[in-house]
Amino acid sequence: MKTTNVKKWLPTALSFALILLLPQVMPDSYWLRIYSMCGIYVMLALGLNVVAGFAGLLDLSYVAFFGIGGYLFALFSSSHLDIHLPFILALPLSAVVSMMFGFLLGSTSIRLKGDYLAIVTLSFAQIFKLLLLNLDRPVNITGGVNGIYSLDVIDIFGFRIMSPQAYSYMIWTTALVILFASYRLKDSRLGRGWQSIREDELAAEATGIDTTWMKLLAFAIGALIAGGTGALFASFQDSVFPNNFDFQQLVLVYCMVIIGGMGNVTGVLIGAVLLTILPEVLREYGSYRMMCYGAILVCIMALRPQGLLSDIPLGRKEKRPDRDTTGKLKASTDLYYKDDNSEDQTARYKKESQVVLELSGITRSFGGLLAVDNLDIRLHEKEILSIIGPNGAGKTTLFNLISGIYPPSSGVIRLKEKDITGFRPYKVVKAGIARTFQNLRLFSNMSVLDNARAGFFVRTKTGPFSIFFSLPEYRREEMETRKQAENILSRFGARLSGYRLDQEVRSLSYANRRRVEIARAMATGAKILLLDEPSAGMNPQETEEITHFIRELRDRHGYTILLIEHKLNLVRTISDRVIALDYGKKIAEGTFEEVASDSQVIEAYLGTSR
Amino acid sequence: MDIILQELPQQLVNGLTLGGIYALIAIGYSMVYGVLSMLNFAHGEVYMIGGFTGWWVLHYFSTQNVPFMHASLVITVTILVVMLCCGMLGILIERVAYRPLRGAPRMNLLLSALGVSIFLQNLVLTLQGAKVKVFHISHLIPESVRTFEIGGVVFSFMRLLVIAISFGMMLILSYVIKQTRAGKAMRATAQDIEAAEFMGIDVDRIVMLVFFVGSALGGAAGILVSLLFTQVDYYVGFQAGLKGFTAAVLGGIGNIKGAMLGGILLGLTEALAVSVFPSAYKDVVAFTILIIVLIFRPWGLVGEKLPEKV
Repeated sequence: MKTTNVKKWLPTALSFALILLLPQVMPDSYWLRIYSMCGIYVMLALGLNVVAGFAGLLDLSYVAFFGIGGYLFALFSSSHLDIHLPFILALPLSAVVSMMFGFLLGSTSIRLKGDYLAIVTLSFAQIFKLLLLNLDRPVNITGGVNGIYSLDVIDIFGFRIMSPQAYSYMIWTTALVILFASYRLKDSRLGRGWQSIREDELAAEATGIDTTWMKLLAFAIGALIAGGTGALFASFQDSVFPNNFDFQQLVLVYCMVIIGGMGNVTGVLIGAVLLTILPEVLREYGSYRMMCYGAILVCIMALRPQGLLSDIPLGRKEKRPDRDTTGKLKASTDLYYKDDNSEDQTARYKKESQVVLELSGITRSFGGLLAVDNLDIRLHEKEILSIIGPNGAGKTTLFNLISGIYPPSSGVIRLKEKDITGFRPYKVVKAGIARTFQNLRLFSNMSVLDNARAGFFVRTKTGPFSIFFSLPEYRREEMETRKQAENILSRFGARLSGYRLDQEVRSLSYANRRRVEIARAMATGAKILLLDEPSAGMNPQETEEITHFIRELRDRHGYTILLIEHKLNLVRTISDRVIALDYGKKIAEGTFEEVASDSQVIEAYLGTSR
Repeated sequence: MDIILQELPQQLVNGLTLGGIYALIAIGYSMVYGVLSMLNFAHGEVYMIGGFTGWWVLHYFSTQNVPFMHASLVITVTILVVMLCCGMLGILIERVAYRPLRGAPRMNLLLSALGVSIFLQNLVLTLQGAKVKVFHISHLIPESVRTFEIGGVVFSFMRLLVIAISFGMMLILSYVIKQTRAGKAMRATAQDIEAAEFMGIDVDRIVMLVFFVGSALGGAAGILVSLLFTQVDYYVGFQAGLKGFTAAVLGGIGNIKGAMLGGILLGLTEALAVSVFPSAYKDVVAFTILIIVLIFRPWGLVGEKLPEKV
């Protein structure tokens, strides 16, 4: 117990000792200044890392929030407008107002994808700079090209910060706080949520993550950090100019994040320090410096797109989960799924069971094409209902409609009497319906455990505040989530547990990936599962296994299952009822035997005899 | 209001000049986006290098700013050489910075393009210095025809020339894309790069061709603007790139007709904005339009909305 405590506090203690010591050993005031600038850039890069690294948003207006913070601080505490707020008020105010701008800007543009978001944010940054340059007339607000200078001396309850040393302490202490916050955020519910969005936004939404809100949150946190840093920077420089906040600055901060490896907190820290010091060393080479930056950026993208420092295990020994302590490869521990015969017959579907999901008159057209045409479907509690039909019959479209990926053109979807028509996917999950995808949409670069834990996002609720202070409620929730996720994964036998927990999903076999996707859907806590071809790509043995597994889900765990499947053997074995679709219309409904002998179904599959 | 109306024909000409230029730049963005789904951020620098190349060509063709050939010949040769050089530069950029990344996440491509842009800008800064390069066109275009008046409106010869050349190039490109074998291959590649490859189209060559044509047009825009305003410096690419890009997005990125329309619309809007707002805010107007279009019609004015495939 004692050693773990020491281990836990050692990095914190060491880093505080370091920031106490370092300003004392700087050779001269020039290097002390660079040292402080280092701290500023570390903060800036860490803030950008939340937006671009964690959430994967290409936000090119980031530098504008840095500028807003800087200019606001300058306006709040200088003779320019003759407002002299105390530092203790001006700093948070600048940061919070920047965050509000971030929120505002984000809410208009956040639904745009990738490149488009980059352009819109770049346009905002350009407008910001043009305003900085031109808002000195008719009323002098920004000071135009000359900026705003000679700010008030920082005075914290009579304690004045004037010396370069004092500044470096203040800047680096703040940087350290942001650094620890970054570590905590990354390894939290929110961090996993962002990573899911970065990996596959649609899948994240369909796993119950409110992607719009999460992206806004990332945007706002980024703007908050940038704004606060801007305020500190303004005070440190004792002035602000439009050129402090231009495109070059943005590129520099992006380079820091990229070299460090997007999302990798330690890497970004090192990247920021490296790229602040390097130019000082290269100062005499002038414009070759920026040229080098450009060339380095191109080379890194081609050779190490994941970042220079991203795969290097920093300070931590990399675990090889597939090897034992002597370094020998562990034998495969795959076991076939054990069939449990203690079936609970009460879990079975009965004709009089309650209808949980009801679709009435659902229609969806794409242009002139009717993909789903006036469908009525009722799903009963604890029923396994299979949808069959030839390719293009509208099966997957039906799933997309239920799960809210797009709204129906007309018709109503009810979940236990509650109208969920037109709900966004994450709300559908929240209401209690989770799904898998025909072509697997997993978070490939996340571990098996994290994929399952992402599913818990919708049932957990701690926010950035609890995470930052690591409040007991948050730690309890994290522990609980982990336990339950492991529990769900262990239902697949040894396939997904043990050393597999820490393996990245992309390294798993196809069949195992299908299993992870089902586990993720189960983790959302939804009791209705929509499984889109769960046995696709599986061999006969594995198909049999998954068949048993699906049945178990219902019999032992009380799930209600809507299934799309092409393997009729599987359908016959487990379905209570079957619905056949063709050209978006229901052509038959009933038991498997009834549907299989229906003349219209035979015609749809085989054509008519002439 | 009267003043605005009085200035209208003049602003129309200005708008069409700008519009033609923006359209030429926008075509490069749109063509590349069409085949590779990437934003070629370095396109603005190609435009800038077009201006510099043009300056040097003119420099070699004249002694003490007097060209030793007929002016029309000099201008033609200059434009052709610039287009050739910029086209080659485009191919080089694609080969070095984009081809190794084909199929990589878009963010990587975008950042690589950003890297190329920074590199080229600072390369020119290093080689040519930060000072503005001035074009001496006094001997190229005789005083008598430099401006002329029709019905009370003063036309500048250079502006009309720019309009004629840019619209002419657009017509030629439209024909090439629509009627020729290479054009057909380009359209096929833009539709589906993999399918095109399976149909026996040498996709790498088509991508090279796309970069060549796009960059050549971008370079042409660069030299035309430089001749018009008689100067160029290393920093013009950034702003021009943004404008061309805005035009491409306005029309619907990936769509060449859209790029032309977007360019002309943007040019006209800017010209008219100048007569209403202070000129310092003309870019604010342009960017605001871009933001509004992106938020409400991200697929552009001409483009088509495609549902996301699940």
